[in-house]
This record gives sequence, structure tokens and C-alpha cells, in this order.
Amino acid sequence: MKELVEYIVKSIVAEPDNITITEENSDEGLLIKLEVADEDKGRVIGRGGRVAEAIRTLLRVKAAKDNTRVRLQIM
Amino acid sequence: MDELEIAASTVEEALEEAEERLGMKRDRFEVEVISEGKSGILGIGGEEAVIKVKPLPPAEEDLVKVAREVLDKLLNLLGVTAEVEVLSDQIPTTFNIKGDDLGILIGRHGQTIVSLEYIVKLIVAARLKGWQPLFIDIGGYRERRRSSLQQLALHLAEQVKLEHRDITLEPMSASERRIIHLALAEHPEVVTHSIGVGEDRKVVISPKQS
Repeated sequence: MKELVEYIVKSIVAEPDNITITEENSDEGLLIKLEVADEDKGRVIGRGGRVAEAIRTLLRVKAAKDNTRVRLQIM
Repeated sequence: MDELEIAASTVEEALEEAEERLGMKRDRFEVEVISEGKSGILGIGGEEAVIKVKPLPPAEEDLVKVAREVLDKLLNLLGVTAEVEVLSDQIPTTFNIKGDDLGILIGRHGQTIVSLEYIVKLIVAARLKGWQPLFIDIGGYRERRRSSLQQLALHLAEQVKLEHRDITLEPMSASERRIIHLALAEHPEVVTHSIGVGEDRKVVISPKQS
């Protein structure tokens, strides 16, 4: 799950070495927290949240395959 | 990516700076020398060299190679076993994902495939330094959906014309609504528009006012 977010985010930001991704397990499934450089925030969120929404859609595919639930929080 | 104007003391230096700023070698962009520059005496009366550069569109092979690699990687990370077929004769270049049980990749109203395509386009744009047109399909799903939407549009337009009333379609994604709008754009007797917001947005076909 983390690898998927990492690959996408690293490929689209200006500072790929400056990202932090953590995973937390909770009753509601997996919570992925993503932190990027300030100037890259717009790139991972996108206009109207379009990029973040597309990443979440792909995460849901993976979660459905793994029989779990996932949330992505951009810090 | 747009044009970039670069000034430096010599054309060669400007070219080096262009390579650095664009992140690509000089054979991959178009160069127009605006001023050759003059060196002047003791730094007085000199003129800077100015060039205008513009990245060339990447070669078709590059787009296919990069997009295919990105798509393979994403499918792998998603845990999906599938094969990617490249249809280079289509415009835009189409990548058709083939395999068993790919419904999960299509999603509701094809939303997942649209997201996958968007992410691939973003990554390819970052790699090739510019937005590239490409189309991702799954087992021909979008192609079939496109032709059935076109047929539906024409059929409903006929009904609108005969009954002389508006007909509202079911909610659709932006790309699907676009197929309906385009299919009826030239229709002599009906017009289309969309109503509703977000996931509930749908196309309305109305008789043309004469």
C-alpha cells in the first residue's frame, strides 16, 4: 500500500527525497499519512483535489484486493 | 511546456543553462538565437547572448516506452496480473490492459480507469517534461462503452425529436458526458447541456428551438 503511494508521489514531486510516508493500523483499516515539501503540496493534491482523489481511487483498488480499507491523509 | 528565454554571456553558456533548466540535452529542444551577444571592452558596451528554447515533442517510441513502463509498474503495485497491448495506430496512442477479472480496474462508471489514466499521464508528463496525449483502455471496455453511448445518444435524440420533450440521461463521468455532447454536436434538431453537480451530473437532450 505504502509502496504504491511512494511510487506515484516520488514520480510527480520536485523533491522526491523530501517525502515521508507512514502507515497506521486502526479499526477502520489502514491510515496512510503523507508529508511532502511545501512546494510539492499542490502537485500531490492537484486542482480541486484531483490528483489526491485519483491516488485514493487506486488505493481503494489495492485495498479491495487485500480485503481491507485504506485512508490517505496529506499532512 | 512553453518557450523559455535565456540570457547569458555567450550562446554556448545560454545553451548549457537551457540544458540544465529543462533537464534534457540540446538535441531534444528547439533553439532560436535572438542575439549572438557581444563581448564589449572591459565589460562595457557588451551585449548578452539571448536564446529562445522550446522542448520538442518526444519521439513516439519514448512515449510508448515510458508509458508502458509506468503502467506495468502501477499494475504490479496494485497486485493486478495483466498484459498491456499498445495500439500505436490509434490517436491518441492507446494502451489496452488485458487479463482476467479486470472489473476492479474499471470501477463504477469507469471512474477507476479514468484515475489510473490520469496518474499515468502525470508521471509520464514528469518524465518527458510535458503533457502527452494517451488513452488507457481495459479489454476494450471504454471503446465499447463509447460506441454504445454514441448509439444511445442518437437513439434518444430521435425520441426527443418525435416527442418534442427533454430527455435526461443517467449520471455520467465527464469523459462519458463529453461522448454524448460530441455525438450530438452536429445534430440538426436537438441540443445538449449538463445539469447537477459532482457524481450526479447528467446530460439533458432537448429539442432545438426554431
